Amino acid sequence: MTPEPDTHDPEPLDVAAAELALGLLDGEERAAALRRVLAEPAFAAEVERWRLYFAQLFDLWPEAEAPEGLIDRIDESLGGPKPSRTRRAPWPLIAVAMSALAAVLLVVIALRPTPTPLPAPVPQVQEGSRTLLIAALGDAKSPVAAAYHPENGLMRIAAAPTVPAARVAQLWAIGGDGVPHPLGLLTAAGTELRLAAADRARLVPGTTLAISVEPTGGSPTGLPTGPVVATGALSAV
Amino acid sequence: MLIATGSEDRAAFRELYHLTSAKLFGVVLRICGDTQAAEDVLHDVYLIIWRRAGAWEPGRASPITWLATIARNRAIDWRRAQKVRRAGPIDDASDIPDTAPDAESELVAAGERHSLRHCLEELEPRQGEAIRTAFFDGMTYADYAEARGVPLGTAKSWIRRGLARLKECLDRDA
Repeated sequence: MTPEPDTHDPEPLDVAAAELALGLLDGEERAAALRRVLAEPAFAAEVERWRLYFAQLFDLWPEAEAPEGLIDRIDESLGGPKPSRTRRAPWPLIAVAMSALAAVLLVVIALRPTPTPLPAPVPQVQEGSRTLLIAALGDAKSPVAAAYHPENGLMRIAAAPTVPAARVAQLWAIGGDGVPHPLGLLTAAGTELRLAAADRARLVPGTTLAISVEPTGGSPTGLPTGPVVATGALSAV
Repeated sequence: MLIATGSEDRAAFRELYHLTSAKLFGVVLRICGDTQAAEDVLHDVYLIIWRRAGAWEPGRASPITWLATIARNRAIDWRRAQKVRRAGPIDDASDIPDTAPDAESELVAAGERHSLRHCLEELEPRQGEAIRTAFFDGMTYADYAEARGVPLGTAKSWIRRGLARLKECLDRDA
């Protein structure tokens, strides 16, 4: 194939990361680029950067109303427990902490427990006591989501900040006394902590959660010894 | 408790659908080019989201970006599986506006990342158009060359030079 006269660039353009991110490649070229993603962390990071750049264009994408009734068909194909039709979760209230969309996505994706075979139905708890406390720790750009169920004392953390080798992220609760109390250690993939009674009592709307970077095994002193990398206040949903 | 949680999750899932389905249907409809196929793909997309195939990490990408990316990828997969090429001339993404409809997403985009849109405007029109078309119509080099009726090498050359200039612009802004 004869290129146009002005295509003789002084150096070959390495835009493979952008090409892959945009989806221009197919066949062997695509396979070669995917091999580079696996072999070269810098290349993989570049691809991710391009993906985020191109994703800005999603803002421009015109919306189209989805076919009526599709959500019901999707719901049916999920099986399992039916949603309670009468009560819509008041998720938009979380907008003070993060967007409503981020909040529902957290519930659906990040905080949903691993699907388990369901036991026989148990009586549902009273509506009024079904409070959930959530917090977004860190800045708006990269919050770590936390959700706490006062009923069963379960604290779920969607992710953990990146920590150096031989360090671990530790979660703290800071209540009215201003003293940090350790709640547990976090793993990058997400953590579920069942809290002791004393810790449960500390977790009320307004309690600050904080994550610090500690030596493996957690702070040896019972108080944060490393940098605090994220904080956020619990609020009721 | 598990049941109660499951039920709450389903309510949240419906809310998620309510908040996102118009955007995601817009994405798949454009790429699939057929309402019935788009509906099937969208169904599939929400099942993927429910099954958490692919993890959303708060902070890496905004929620809608992550969801829209899944939708775009699934729609492209579907189209390539059909081995369907668009018949006739493509609409070259000219019906996609240059600016976001609402200022809020504009602000979010500006705050989070350097503006790709700004840099696209600096390109030669042909290069910018090709890159936008690749994105909005989910086209490979081969798709684009065929749709434009130009040799593959020519299409690659246009787009590669556009991407290289885009890279310069983005690096400069960074």
